Amino acid sequence: MRNATIERALSEPQFAALVDALAADPDRREQLAELLREDHALYNDRGAATVVRMRGWVLLALARVGVTDAALIFVLEELDTGIDAYLVACAARALRSYPHPDATLAPFVARALANIRYRDEPVSLESYGEYVVSATGSSAVSELLATLAWLGPHARGVLPELDALRAQSGLTRKLRLDLDRALQAIRGSAYGEGAATPACCGGALADARSTSTFAPDSRRDCGPVRSIVLQDQDGRSITFADFFCQRPSIVVFFYTRCDNPMKCSLTVTKLARVQKLLAARRLADKIHSAAITYDPAFDLPERLRVYGQDRGVRMDADHRMLRAVEDNDALRKHFELGVNFVESLVNRHRIEVYILDAEGRIAVSFARIHWDEADVVARAAAVLERDEFRFA
Amino acid sequence: MAKKQKAKKQKTKKRKAAKKSSARMAGRRAISVATSADKTVKQRVAAMAAAPLAVCESEKDLQAMLKVLSDSSEPIAVRLAALQSLGAAAFSVLSFESCRADYIATLRKVADDPDPELRQRVLGILMREKDGYAQRKLLDGLKNPAKALLPPEKALQLLSYDVHADAYSVARDILKKPPNDEAKREALRLLAADAKAVPLFEKVLRDKKELRENRQIAASALHALHPDKLQQSARKILLDKSDYADIKATSLTALEQFGDEEALGKDKALLQSINRFRASKAPAKYKQTARRFLSKYDQ
Repeated sequence: MRNATIERALSEPQFAALVDALAADPDRREQLAELLREDHALYNDRGAATVVRMRGWVLLALARVGVTDAALIFVLEELDTGIDAYLVACAARALRSYPHPDATLAPFVARALANIRYRDEPVSLESYGEYVVSATGSSAVSELLATLAWLGPHARGVLPELDALRAQSGLTRKLRLDLDRALQAIRGSAYGEGAATPACCGGALADARSTSTFAPDSRRDCGPVRSIVLQDQDGRSITFADFFCQRPSIVVFFYTRCDNPMKCSLTVTKLARVQKLLAARRLADKIHSAAITYDPAFDLPERLRVYGQDRGVRMDADHRMLRAVEDNDALRKHFELGVNFVESLVNRHRIEVYILDAEGRIAVSFARIHWDEADVVARAAAVLERDEFRFA
Repeated sequence: MAKKQKAKKQKTKKRKAAKKSSARMAGRRAISVATSADKTVKQRVAAMAAAPLAVCESEKDLQAMLKVLSDSSEPIAVRLAALQSLGAAAFSVLSFESCRADYIATLRKVADDPDPELRQRVLGILMREKDGYAQRKLLDGLKNPAKALLPPEKALQLLSYDVHADAYSVARDILKKPPNDEAKREALRLLAADAKAVPLFEKVLRDKKELRENRQIAASALHALHPDKLQQSARKILLDKSDYADIKATSLTALEQFGDEEALGKDKALLQSINRFRASKAPAKYKQTARRFLSKYDQ
C-alpha cells in the first residue's frame, strides 16, 4: 500500500527522516519495502546518484529492523545485479538481518563479490548520504565477506569461488583477514559441523518470489494499450494489438543508455539466446519476441537496430526491437514497469521479462533477479499450448 | 634432447623471474625517491614516472604515495606527478584492486584542495568513475557559485561524463543566464543527450545571432536526438540567402548523408539555392560540399 502522506517532493533530509520514522514504528515498517519500488513517486525526477543514496538508506533501515520476506527480493536484486559499491554494501548488511539464512542466499553474495571487487569503494553506513574521504571504515567487499561469515556453513556451496579468491593477490591485508574469518565460519569451526540445514521448499529464494504466474481468468486485459503505436528497429509502425494480440510473446524491457552491464545489455543478449532456443524447438514462428525500450525519445530505430545487432538479436516481422511512438506512460502503467526517470532519462530500473498470452495479457512475469532462458522458453511454450488448446 | 629443452625452459623462466624482480626493485626504489622530502622536486617528479609499476606492491608504498597526493604542504608539481602515477597504476584494474578503495577516498579528500589544477584533475577522475560525491560537489557549485570548486564550464563538462547525473535542469538554468560563452557552450553540449531539448536546439540552430560553434553543436545534437528536425532546419538554412557559409555546409552535409534522396531530388527551390551557394564567394571547402551534393542529382 502506498502511503498517501508520502510526498514526492521531499528533500533528501526529509526522506531520510521519513525512513527513520517508518523503521521506528513497528506498525509502519512494512512500508520500507514499498519504498524500494523503482516506480515510487519519491524517485520521480531524481538523479541516479540521489536514488542510490535514498535506496541505500532504506536498505540500511531494513538492516536495523530486520529484512522481511517481502523486502528480501530487493536485497537479492542488489546483490545479483548491483554495480554501485554503496548499494551493494547496504544490501550485504541488510541481508545479515534476514531471520532465515540458508544455502540459496550464498550464490547471490558470491556473485556480488565477483561483480564488485574491482569497483570497491570505502563506504559509510552510519549517516544518510555520507561519502567517505578517508581510508577507514567499511567497503562493499568487506560487507560481503561479513555476510558470508554470517551465512557460515550455509555458504559451503560457494567455497570453491572463495578459495580461488584467497589464492589471488588482489585483497588488502584487512580484507584477507575478513576472508579468512568468512572461510573459517563457512567450514564450520565457528558454528559446528553440520550446522547448515538444507533449504526447505526452495528456501529463502522461493520466499523472494521473482516469478509471478497469472491464471487466464486473472490476467489483466490489454485494452488500454491495444492501440498504442510502436515503432520497430527499421522504422516500421505497428500497434500493440497487431504485434502482441496474435500469438504468445516474450517481452523484455531495456534502454540503450543503461550503464549497468548486468541489466539491459545482458537482458537483450539473453533475449537473443531465447530466440535461438525458440528456433531450436521450432517455435520461432509461433511465439513472438520483443525488446521494448524504456527510453523511446532517445532510442530511435537506428539505435534499436544497432543495439540488437550487437547482441545477436534476431530481427524480423515476428521478433522486433520496439519503442512506443507515443503514450509510453500507458505502457508503463499496463506492465507496472519497475522504472523511474529524471526528466527524460531512466534513473533506476529493475530487470523485467514478461510472457504474454495470445491476447496480449501478462501470463508470467520475471522480475529483479536473473532469469533462465530455457525456463522462459518452457513457460512460453506452455502458454502457447494452453492458448492452442483453448482456441481449438 | 628432452633434458636440453627442459634446461632451456628453466633458464628462460629464471631470466624472466630475474627481470620481473629487477623491475619490481626499480619500482620500489622509484617510490622511495618519489616520496622522499629530501630529494629535489625534479628528482621526485622523474621518479614518479617509474612508480606506477610498484605502487600496489606494498600497502606502505601506496599509503606513502597517497600521503604525497593529499598533503598540501608538498610541492604541487610532485603532487600532480603522484596523481598521474596513481592514475596510471589504476589503469591496470586487476593489480589495482587492493588499492582502489584508499585511492577513491583520497581523491575525494583532495577534491576541494586549494590548488585549482589538482582539484580539476581529481574531479575529472572521480567523474569518470561516476562518483556521487564529485557529482554532488559539482552540482552544488553550479547552483551556488560561492561553493564552486571549478569554473562553471569545466563543471558542466565533467558532469556530462555521466549521462545519469541530474544536470539537465542546472544546464538549462545556465543557458538562461550564462556567466560566459564557454559555460553556455558546455551547457549545450551537456543537453545534447536530453531528448526533451529538441526545441531548444532547433532554436539555437536557426538563430543567426548565436555563436556559430553553438549552432554546430545544435546541429550535431539534433542529428542525435531527432534527425528529421535537423533535416527540416537544414533545408530552411539552405534556403536562407543570408545565413553563414559554414552553417550552410553543415546543413548540406546533413542532407547529403541522411536526407531522403528522392524528396531532395524533387526539391527545386532547395537545389536552386544550393546552386547559388556553389557559385557564391563562400570558401572553396564549403563550395566543394555543394558540388558534391549537386552531383548526386546531376546538377
